[in-house]
Amino acid sequence: MTIEVYAILKEYFEKQFIISEQISDINALKEHLSIQNPEAIDILRSCRFAVDDEFVADTYQLKENDSISIIPPSSGG
Amino acid sequence: MTASALSLQAVEVSQCISSEPLDLAGLLAKSHHPLAGAVVLFSGDVRDNNLGNHVDYLEYEAKESMAAKMIQEILLEAKERWNLNIAVAQHRIGKVAVGECAVVVITATPHRREAYEANRHIIDRIKHEVPIWKCEYFKDGSKKWGGNCNCHDITGDPNKHLYETSTSGSDLPAPMKEEFTGSITRRV
Repeated sequence: MTIEVYAILKEYFEKQFIISEQISDINALKEHLSIQNPEAIDILRSCRFAVDDEFVADTYQLKENDSISIIPPSSGG
Repeated sequence: MTASALSLQAVEVSQCISSEPLDLAGLLAKSHHPLAGAVVLFSGDVRDNNLGNHVDYLEYEAKESMAAKMIQEILLEAKERWNLNIAVAQHRIGKVAVGECAVVVITATPHRREAYEANRHIIDRIKHEVPIWKCEYFKDGSKKWGGNCNCHDITGDPNKHLYETSTSGSDLPAPMKEEFTGSITRRV
């Protein structure tokens, strides 16, 4: 699956990267990324996750070819 | 189709996300409608200071495909709820200088109350929900990613915003909102 991050998350992860491990759902993905980069735990907790441009719940079952966007809290305006 | 109906359509399909300076006068000129006696334009401008820091400029980033769609949906929802004759919103991305407009919302209705209410509702939702982020660049060379929306600290859910759980109406009461934003900014 492909992961893309935005804004402040770019200071913790590559803008875009691929995860080849099997990860069941968004909750598991959060855990996986938190282990990869413990400093990002708080921010990851506040993020929304989107698959193919639609927000998904933490229980969303990930598929191998999903392209996942990790969306930090907005600060537009 | 009359000339005004044509121009209304042109405004509605216009770009919601723009890397070019926003043409406030041009958008306003297209936002008059024969049924609307009130037109409200909100312009969110870049200040030269934030909490004592001198701001050099801001840089906005968006997840464009989602942001444009979400702004359209917010406008449509508000249009139905307040019976708006015109609803327009545009947000800048990229570098935005002090004094420039970062986001504009225009609403037009028969009477002013609905135009103000809808306008406030639209800008609040854009700021909280739409995937657009600002990075402040300060005069001293430092930078900081902004976080206007920390509703999840209180609601416990990144998908739930304070005004959605509030029973007193669609928007945060103004004093609460100011206090809320202030505490977030201090924490960042």
